[in-house]
Amino acid sequence: MMLVRAFVSHYRRHPIQLAALAMMIVLATMLWTGVTVLTDQARNSLFQSEEAVAARVHVVRSDGEPIGVNDFVALRLAGACIAPWLEIQRPPPEGRVIGIDLLAMGCFGDAAPGGEAGTLDGAPFVDISEAVRLSGEEYDSRLYLLAASENPALPDGYALREFSLGPATGELADSFLLNLDALSLLVLLITGLLVRSVHRLGIAQRQHSFDLLHRFGVPRRRVRQLLALELVVLTGVCVLPGLWLGAQLAGMLGGGFGQALDSLFDVTLYAGSTESLPWQAAGIMVLLVLAVCLVDWVVPQTWQDAAVSGRGQLVAVAVLLVGLASVALAQGLAGVFLGTALVFAGTGWLTPGLLAILAQRRADGAEVYGTGPLIRWRLRELAVMFRHLALPVVALQFAMATVLAVQALVTTFENTFEDWLAQRLEAEFYVQVPPGADASLAAKRLSELEGIGPWHRVIRGKARITAGDSGKAMGAEGESVSADLFALTPIGDLVSDWTLLASVDQPWQNLERGGVMINEQLARRHRIEVGDPLRILLAGTEASTSVVAIYADYGRPAGEVLMSGAELPENFSARFESFSVNPGELAMADISEQLGSIWNTPEVTVRDNASIRALASQVFSQTFLLTRAISILTLVLAAVALLIMGWVFFTTRVWYFRLLGIWGLPASAIRSQLRRLSVTLTLTVTIAALPLGIWLTWVLVSRINPLAFGWSLPMDLYPFFWLELGAIAVLTGLVIAQLMRRQLVHRVSDKQVEA
Amino acid sequence: MSSPVLAVDGLSKKFISAGQRVPVLSGLTLGVHSGESLAIVGRSGSGKSTLLNLLCGLQKPDEGAITVVGESFDSSGNSDSDARWAELRRRSIGVVFQDANLMPALSLLENVRLRAHLAGLTAGGERDWLERLGLGAEADRYPDQVSGGQAQRAALAMVFAMAPALILADEPTGSLDRHTADEVAECLFTMQRDTGCALILATHDTALATRCDRLLDLSAVKPSGAG
Repeated sequence: MMLVRAFVSHYRRHPIQLAALAMMIVLATMLWTGVTVLTDQARNSLFQSEEAVAARVHVVRSDGEPIGVNDFVALRLAGACIAPWLEIQRPPPEGRVIGIDLLAMGCFGDAAPGGEAGTLDGAPFVDISEAVRLSGEEYDSRLYLLAASENPALPDGYALREFSLGPATGELADSFLLNLDALSLLVLLITGLLVRSVHRLGIAQRQHSFDLLHRFGVPRRRVRQLLALELVVLTGVCVLPGLWLGAQLAGMLGGGFGQALDSLFDVTLYAGSTESLPWQAAGIMVLLVLAVCLVDWVVPQTWQDAAVSGRGQLVAVAVLLVGLASVALAQGLAGVFLGTALVFAGTGWLTPGLLAILAQRRADGAEVYGTGPLIRWRLRELAVMFRHLALPVVALQFAMATVLAVQALVTTFENTFEDWLAQRLEAEFYVQVPPGADASLAAKRLSELEGIGPWHRVIRGKARITAGDSGKAMGAEGESVSADLFALTPIGDLVSDWTLLASVDQPWQNLERGGVMINEQLARRHRIEVGDPLRILLAGTEASTSVVAIYADYGRPAGEVLMSGAELPENFSARFESFSVNPGELAMADISEQLGSIWNTPEVTVRDNASIRALASQVFSQTFLLTRAISILTLVLAAVALLIMGWVFFTTRVWYFRLLGIWGLPASAIRSQLRRLSVTLTLTVTIAALPLGIWLTWVLVSRINPLAFGWSLPMDLYPFFWLELGAIAVLTGLVIAQLMRRQLVHRVSDKQVEA
Repeated sequence: MSSPVLAVDGLSKKFISAGQRVPVLSGLTLGVHSGESLAIVGRSGSGKSTLLNLLCGLQKPDEGAITVVGESFDSSGNSDSDARWAELRRRSIGVVFQDANLMPALSLLENVRLRAHLAGLTAGGERDWLERLGLGAEADRYPDQVSGGQAQRAALAMVFAMAPALILADEPTGSLDRHTADEVAECLFTMQRDTGCALILATHDTALATRCDRLLDLSAVKPSGAG
């Protein structure tokens, strides 16, 4: 017992150090848990949405009216095996739930959604009575009638449709999850570095006590056992609040995350997609803390010495170069991530030593006389700090580079998306064609109106495309792929200003003549280029055509073919139709009224340009809330860690600042030296983070984004972010200097009392 | 005789211990002239280090007055007294401790240059001081690359390089073996004689104390109010 008391006496004398270590573990657990919960939710939601709708069909009314309870009764009386599927859309974090009727599932057998017929296997499926109750609470709801097979006997007035909650996302959703996993691992790496750095500093300060215990006859192995026990207890205690905070963080970010899934992949975040507390994440965090803090006992000292030797530095350079080459040449996401990890490892390995050498060189170059000696001393102290604070310096560098890259990516996307949206939303109003209404009649009327501005009809549906004669696209010869169809007629001023990624001469004229344009997603996924021949299958009719342009199409995963509406076969069944209209000299209300009279409906759904734009922008900002939040939280954590480390480390250097005072340097000049030292430290780390951040931006926009989402972005740099990060670095440096100053004052007064 | 480099009149200092004010020095009066050396001896806790700290302005007296190189200070602690003390320590008062007198990130020569720079001296000659103290070959080494005795001699080189009027040395040989301590002491007294500065030395070492011109035993000066 006495041994344990002697062992932990260090923390009785330095409670702030214990608090710092505990705080690092709590914050690291919080971040890791938050990211893990969100990633698990995404993975479960994707799995559930795939499982829930896999190979199912649902019944629709032939007259286009929504399905109701009466339809369910009529179909059951007719002997069809159908079951109700009532979706209740609640906003995140609750998410969507699905009400099903267990009795009605009886005829589905093993194919029953939500579990075996007669049972429920939990969220997102609930009993239909519960769903009906929720639908009364002002949540959006929609009823579907699922059919057990693709060929049930249906009475007249009903038809079958493929049941799909969104477009097939292929491997893109997996790539999205891989991105999240990579971000999680980066967070884990940074937090691991921070925990290790705080723990190592404490161990270094306690080494004298350990040596003393050894001299008193306590075996070194016993000391290590006690250290491990201390760490296990501390981690166990700190992981619990970290878990709770992480769950809260996930709850706060859940809304944005749900939007991200919805807008990027049309995947809905389901209720109850994950456990209440992710104990697995807690286990990983405990293992991480133990691993990063106790790794020195496992790794032979010769290896540790070799790592910082000249040969070790050469290995680091080799790791860096291999990483750079891997990222540039890799064909898949896994290769890019592996290369990125190697680049981070190599950079982290090299940075502290290089910065120390740089500071040393600058110190050597300082004037021998004049103000030189003081500058030389400060730069030498800086070099010492770079070496002793290597881990938090690297963690801060990684965090800053990540923030820089994510900010650049998001802002580039924001700007590109806005330009793209402005092109896409040229019309002032958008009129939705009601189900069952004849859009061609409306088109005829619009063409007859005097004084109306530019307009076009939009027809959306599905098409299958096959490689043309060259056979180079879409892999195996004759293989066809499904794509969204986007047809316009007439093709005019509303689209002719689009910026195209690649095109033949006069692309819009060529489109009118029967050519097609494809979106970037389709082009990248199937390596289709401008000029490539394609065969397009529409409503059973196959036609040969060629690609006249490739256009950018952000924020969605599906491949898309754009063609002239005049080229569509007569029997083509549109899934959605609308008109984009500039009313010109006419009032939109009048146009809307005329369309309503043609379609024999009192209310026509008309949306104005501004509301659609606002909705798109809102979805956009929500989409990137999570990424921004995680990167900024990581930066805050790294800055706090550097702050704590700088402060604790200063206890070992405080005497030398006091010595300056004894040598007659005025207190204000000592404070100035403190400020310069700490601000130079944080600012230098920021500057060191810039190349890594710029490189990571390139990796995100030019390598990861096309592989993960199917579209690329231009590589833009934002020096204003650099200045922002510089300002954060200066602020962190000033806070460190202020804490150091307090310690300096306290030390002097301690000395007085002790004397 | 010329006016003293240091004059102390009625100096008192108390510390708070376990909630009580404990007197360490009480009504101390002394004077030290240029070229003179004074040894301050006494048992541990008798106030030797405190007195040296008071004499260079690192601590403030509760009562009494101190005059150093013509600059007068009293216990009231005028607003500019810190700046005047700092100026004196920069240019006129050299302080040597038992150890840790050198900046570990600088070589011995760079330490001497830094100290000379702070004293406002711009001319070269720092290497000469190291050579005079037998450290010419070690000038470019760092403090952790030399012995304790060499580090203390480097500390003396730093002090003498600033051409001080007064040297305050607190147990300058306290952490050295006898032989090395004698070497360092020899250097200290030789240089002090050569430069003609005043020296006040706090020590437990009787042999070292007896080499000084005068001796002040703080154990014999019982502060009023002390237990």
